[in-house]
Amino acid sequence: MSGGPVRATLARMGEFMESFVPLEEQSLAFQKRLRTFTKVITTKARIAQTPKELVWALNKAKLYRYVPVVPARSRHRVPLLLVFAIMNRPYILDLRPGHSFVEFMVGRGFDVYLLDWGSPGIEDKNMKFDDYAMEYLPRAIRKVKAVSGSEVFSLLGWCIGAILTTIYAAMRPDDGLRNLLLLTAPLDFSKRENLTFARWTDAKYFDVEKVLAAFGNMPGEMIDYGAKALRPIDNYVTNYCKLWDNVDSPRAVEAWHAMNTWVTDNIPMAGAAYRQLILDFYRNNSLMAGTLHIQGQRVELRNIEANLLDVIAEGDHITPPCQSEAILEKVSSADKEIFRVPGGHIGIMAGSGAHKTTWPHIEKWLSARSF
Amino acid sequence: MPETKENGAKPFDPFEPFRGMRDAYLDAMSKAMIDAVNTEGYAQTTGAMLDYFLTASAPVRESLEKAMTQALVQLSLPSRQEVAALAERFTNVEMRLDDLDAKIDRILKAMATPRETPIAEKRVNPVRPAAKSKKA
Repeated sequence: MSGGPVRATLARMGEFMESFVPLEEQSLAFQKRLRTFTKVITTKARIAQTPKELVWALNKAKLYRYVPVVPARSRHRVPLLLVFAIMNRPYILDLRPGHSFVEFMVGRGFDVYLLDWGSPGIEDKNMKFDDYAMEYLPRAIRKVKAVSGSEVFSLLGWCIGAILTTIYAAMRPDDGLRNLLLLTAPLDFSKRENLTFARWTDAKYFDVEKVLAAFGNMPGEMIDYGAKALRPIDNYVTNYCKLWDNVDSPRAVEAWHAMNTWVTDNIPMAGAAYRQLILDFYRNNSLMAGTLHIQGQRVELRNIEANLLDVIAEGDHITPPCQSEAILEKVSSADKEIFRVPGGHIGIMAGSGAHKTTWPHIEKWLSARSF
Repeated sequence: MPETKENGAKPFDPFEPFRGMRDAYLDAMSKAMIDAVNTEGYAQTTGAMLDYFLTASAPVRESLEKAMTQALVQLSLPSRQEVAALAERFTNVEMRLDDLDAKIDRILKAMATPRETPIAEKRVNPVRPAAKSKKA
């Protein structure tokens, strides 16, 4: 009996089985992608790795000094204090090695300090802008001066941090502030038709007292929802599609992971400060109107004489450019400049192009004024 | 664009054929949603939903808070408000300590700063302590 037909059948069966190998490989690759995707969206990335030391603390606030890498004789004389928003973590300024504004500035000879407001507890629900700008910030600045040995300093305020630094600059013009940098600063609330937040928090629809009576502080999740709901599809769908599309690229995954770690690290906003933000800023535009009172004193923007760099994100949907432009007309600074950057509220400082556009400009501007 | 494998072949992705269609759809949806959330209607609806939630949950929150306070009193434990008040007092103490720290810094700085007046000038014009001055 010939074994031909059997051998042929077996050979064909073998070929048929072999045809499954690439499919199996592909299936394994798909599983690997799925594992990476799941891991990235469910874990925290390693962030804020630039070496730093704690130099001051008060309540939840902490002041860090980044360990200089440039010899003292080559460093800029004027220290730089970074002030971020009170309802987000400040490590967006030091997201990950190679993509950190802090690391960039330290590497270029700046003595960099970061004020971390911390996460307010229910015991901090009465903290107002008055406390942040006139109790905490001046104390942190005193420590910056003591540690650096310099009587003059530069302040960089980003988002709500820019409101705080502006208030401070206007209230304490003789404190030694040489350079004031405002990043995506929500200062002018007059063009309400351009401000989605202003519409949402209008007195007709939004009862701020009822929210604060229920929660004490404004919950981080609600703030996060508010920010994401401005572009719901982009934030809730497209963002994850982008991760899936690039899940085989370790570089892209690392960047996405770090940013997602920051985006999902929500903290509440002190109740009284939130009330002020809605009533004094969004509804009454008090700072620009010149009617804002902090610790019983009127905040007068014309008192600001420090050199001013106003960085505006042209594609900012959280703080549209119209909110940051008017400040230049109100201050008395002889040296003032607007720098417009293509990009969004966070992207201009933490996006993949920030090290080519925003950071070098800030560094160049500040270097020329930090001798 | 997704990266490819070293041999140039794209890894298996069952969603690949739909990607272009998906992106176009998401783009259109995104624009529509941005417009939608930027309307008075959306503001009114979300405001009403939040208000309803807060109103509906208020009695539950209040009764829970009352029950919790009573339980803590029975167990001789401090209430949330008492702990918060204590934390506020700690912060005030911290602030006073910070003020003291600032004063000490100023004193140390003043002590470390060399006096500007030359010694010879001081001898010419000595300042007498008030206690030793004689009155007529």
